[in-house]
Amino acid sequence: MSSPAPRLQFDGVTGGYGDSDVVRAMSGQVMAGEVLCVIGRNGVGKSTLLKLLFGLLPCRSGRIAFEGQALERVEASQRRRLGLSYCPQERSVFDGLSVRDNLTLMRADRRLDAFEPLFERFPILKRRLGQHAGTLSGGEKKLLSFVRGLSEAQPLLLLDEPSEGVQWENIEQIAAVIAQGKAGGRSFVVVEQNLAFAESIADRYLVVEQGRVVREGRRGDVTREQLLAHLHV
Amino acid sequence: MESVLVAQALNALFAVAVLALIALGLAVVFGLLGVLNLAHGELVMVGAYCAYVAQTHGWPFVAALPLAIAVCGVLGLVVERWLVRPLYHRPFDTLVVTWGLSLLLRKCAEALFGLGYQSINEPLGGTLDVLGATYPRYRLLLIAISIVVLGALLLWYGRSRTGTRIQAMVDNPDLARALGIRVGRFAAATFVAGTCLAGLAGVLIAPLVPVQPFMGLDHVLMSFFVLVVGGLGSTAGLLTGSAVIGGVNSVVSAVSDSTGGYFCVLVLAILFLWLRPSGIHARR
Amino acid sequence: MRAASVGTWRAAGVAVVALLLLPLVAGEFWAYQMSLLYLYAIAALGVGLCWGRAGFLPLGQGLFFGLSAYLSGLALIAFDQSAWLLLLLPLAALASGALALLIGTLVFRRRGESGPYFSMITLALALLAGQMANNWESVTGGFNGLKGIPGLPGLDSFIAAYYVAAVALVLACAAVVWLYRAPLGVLWAALAHNERRVVLFGFDTNRLKAVAFGVSGLLAGLGGALYAPQQGLVTPQLCGFVLSADLVIWAAVGGRGRLLGPVLGALLIGALTSALRDSFRFWEITIAIVFIVIVLAYPQGLIGVFAPLERRWRQGRRALAALAAPPRRQPGGALRLQLEDVELQVGEVRILDKLSLAIERAGVFCVIGPNGAGKTSTFNLLTGELRAQAGRVRFDGLAIERRPTHQIVALGVGRKLQIPSVFAHLSIADNLGVALWSGRTRASDLLRPRLRRWRTPLLAALQERYPFLAEAQRTAAELAHGERQILELALALLGEPRLLLLDEPCAGLSPQETAQVIDVIRWASQRSAATIVVIEHDMSLVRNLAEHVFVLHNGRLLAQGSVAEIQANPAVKAIYVGSEK
Repeated sequence: MSSPAPRLQFDGVTGGYGDSDVVRAMSGQVMAGEVLCVIGRNGVGKSTLLKLLFGLLPCRSGRIAFEGQALERVEASQRRRLGLSYCPQERSVFDGLSVRDNLTLMRADRRLDAFEPLFERFPILKRRLGQHAGTLSGGEKKLLSFVRGLSEAQPLLLLDEPSEGVQWENIEQIAAVIAQGKAGGRSFVVVEQNLAFAESIADRYLVVEQGRVVREGRRGDVTREQLLAHLHV
Repeated sequence: MESVLVAQALNALFAVAVLALIALGLAVVFGLLGVLNLAHGELVMVGAYCAYVAQTHGWPFVAALPLAIAVCGVLGLVVERWLVRPLYHRPFDTLVVTWGLSLLLRKCAEALFGLGYQSINEPLGGTLDVLGATYPRYRLLLIAISIVVLGALLLWYGRSRTGTRIQAMVDNPDLARALGIRVGRFAAATFVAGTCLAGLAGVLIAPLVPVQPFMGLDHVLMSFFVLVVGGLGSTAGLLTGSAVIGGVNSVVSAVSDSTGGYFCVLVLAILFLWLRPSGIHARR
Repeated sequence: MRAASVGTWRAAGVAVVALLLLPLVAGEFWAYQMSLLYLYAIAALGVGLCWGRAGFLPLGQGLFFGLSAYLSGLALIAFDQSAWLLLLLPLAALASGALALLIGTLVFRRRGESGPYFSMITLALALLAGQMANNWESVTGGFNGLKGIPGLPGLDSFIAAYYVAAVALVLACAAVVWLYRAPLGVLWAALAHNERRVVLFGFDTNRLKAVAFGVSGLLAGLGGALYAPQQGLVTPQLCGFVLSADLVIWAAVGGRGRLLGPVLGALLIGALTSALRDSFRFWEITIAIVFIVIVLAYPQGLIGVFAPLERRWRQGRRALAALAAPPRRQPGGALRLQLEDVELQVGEVRILDKLSLAIERAGVFCVIGPNGAGKTSTFNLLTGELRAQAGRVRFDGLAIERRPTHQIVALGVGRKLQIPSVFAHLSIADNLGVALWSGRTRASDLLRPRLRRWRTPLLAALQERYPFLAEAQRTAAELAHGERQILELALALLGEPRLLLLDEPCAGLSPQETAQVIDVIRWASQRSAATIVVIEHDMSLVRNLAEHVFVLHNGRLLAQGSVAEIQANPAVKAIYVGSEK
């Protein structure tokens, strides 16, 4: 029985800012209904990899394919239409807009019905609907960005450190929502430094150091000690 | 005595309202897109000359409005596509390029209409009695139009979906792009809106000033100072800046002469540059 | 540094001879035309200096030209044929220079973004001056201007006036050549593209820009002072917008990046305009379009046509002997660094939250921590680019919170920025020069071209390790990313700072390049008794080099100690790995 085609496949992706290559020949894949966790310390190129996958930075070399379709020539807003969604690590919300506007910006209407189940998990957002997103704490902004990304229908979400600054109770909720999404067939590429959170959601790991993939494998194949060694000092 | 005060107050209100109307186009283009359009004054001039063209052809005054929108709209499209698009958020480079454009527009106006002053007839003559002072009706109409236009734009920008998306694009262009907002198209539309607003302002002020190719210089400088003092990127900034600059200019000019008013505005601008360069309503 | 080539001297000689012979060849009419254009060319030189060299655009040079013209005209009328004119006429020019210096000092107060404001303010000033000249009839003669100005004493003919203008132009060009070759000219070119970096070498860029504007005002003033006796009439139009605009157009079309570009622009376009303005109706529209095209696509201007010729001339240049640089003006030795309860907030975001940290000795220290911990902000605080809301920062016990960056740097601080920041448009030699002048020069030294020959033993050692640093004429932009990191590191080291702040020196480098950088840092630490503080994420560097590690988290110092102690610390582990709940 042949294995199903991966939803996202990237090979030998190299690129960075200007002429410096922060990401060097990284390869990996994500199947439908799976979470790929990209693990590594600061500055190793995790965020850059996501930007390259989404098209906010140009690839110097390598191939990226989404459900079989090559993406190298496709620009970012088009990739979104094809089915990728991106929640950046920094500047993840529109500070000048209200929480409500942040959520409903790209929807056809201004209604919040679709968000009710998510509001039950993250009541803090519902409380702050009328506030400017710029007045939220760092963790609350991350939650807002996450909920916004979730509410769209894209089958593949690229999340850059969704747990950064978030309280532990909400981190558990995020993990639960991701699990729900997986069950519904959505795929996630999650960049993380928080090992406990990563362990609760990952199906595959991609461990990155100095711009290269140094270890990869499925959940059972990679031990905690191996992950720790690449995260800690 | 009272009627003199009322007249002076109306003068000040008029100065502020007209200034806000003229500066609106630059506020849109500079405040939202980071384009220092030095040709802004020339676009006002183009609008004024549209009123002149309407007059020489015997058309009613209001016919100049759609004419100005058409001409300035086309100019805006061409300029955005060829001059400005590569230079967003680089105020120095856009300053140089649009300075060249302002030169070109001035020379074209000179070639087409000559250097002489043209005068446009007021479409609404006569005066009205306001609180004991008699004030020209056209000026009162302008004050009203200014309030209506600014109010309508403020409401639209704050409430409509397009307005929200433009705010998003200005706030965080990368995230906007990531969300699928066609930043390029919105930016172009915003720029064209700015040039059309400049042209409309030009039509409206044409009956009140001598229309000649060099009329734009003062307007672009005053608009710039309004934004420096008031702050970029918000209607509050535009209104505050117009109030301060317009107020200072009209008060000092009434006391000494227009050169004195000009000088005081300059001093004020330099003070703000030192102490509060992002203006009174600084963008977060 | 290389001497001017034989080719350049020959070309200059030919030009001067042509200038001197022109009236004999072309006759009085052309002599008269050109003598006016020479004066405009002098003013255009100033625009080229500000715009092409120092990176800001003056839109109102007519103010200075007209001011000096009026002053000179009034002096000539009042003191006709008197010896006082020998003093007063130069003063008329100097007055403009002084006014420009004053305006520049007033406007260039904050770093960076003053570019567009400056242009708008100069434009407004020119319009204001035009208005004043128009209205102040008693002094300026109002709209009709100052009439009946006599010529310079003893010089009655057009030919004599021509030679005065020609000599003035040659002298002005020579002066600007000297300025461009002096360290001041290099610093102007450097700050045009990377002002922050120049400030981080301890130079007050606001003052440098004000000086550039002052020189340009002086040049315009020179033109104006000679205009009055030559033309016999000074009108308010000179002060106002039209001449100011023309000067900018000539500088751009001629080629603002090279010294003679504005001169070529003024002479050529000026001559064409006076010839064609009345016959060709669309001449001025054409020039406006040419200006726009040049600004968008051909910034090198008309003189760029001669670039290949110039390249051939340059090949005959011989290198001049090196000079030993004097020692740093500040004494060496480690710098004691103390931060006490520092709080830093930018907008709504709290970046540093009662941060306390002290370094009392020389050595290599590393600062680590997750993103957003406040590491780079701490460095920005140390160099005075961010101001704390509360707390104290002390260097050797001296509180530095309120000092401007260039003063703090002058105490002996070197910095390497997170994104490699060198002077991409300058040659490697000029890059190294700026670093060498840092901390070793007084203001007057900046006018001495000899300083470009400076060398130090440290420079020689660095060039031995990294041969590409000796490729003096290569532009820094041609270097690969890794080489640029090394160059910036070298620049930071050359200043021989007492406190060296390195922000991610290995970012984007391959493992081999990283090993090289570790080597250099260790070598530098052994050579000098400096305090070196490194922000790094690359743990191989931290493990290899750090004698002591500071861990920052959420704007506070979470832990400090040796590498082993940090590794064993559970709180540190938690922030990197996520708490166990």
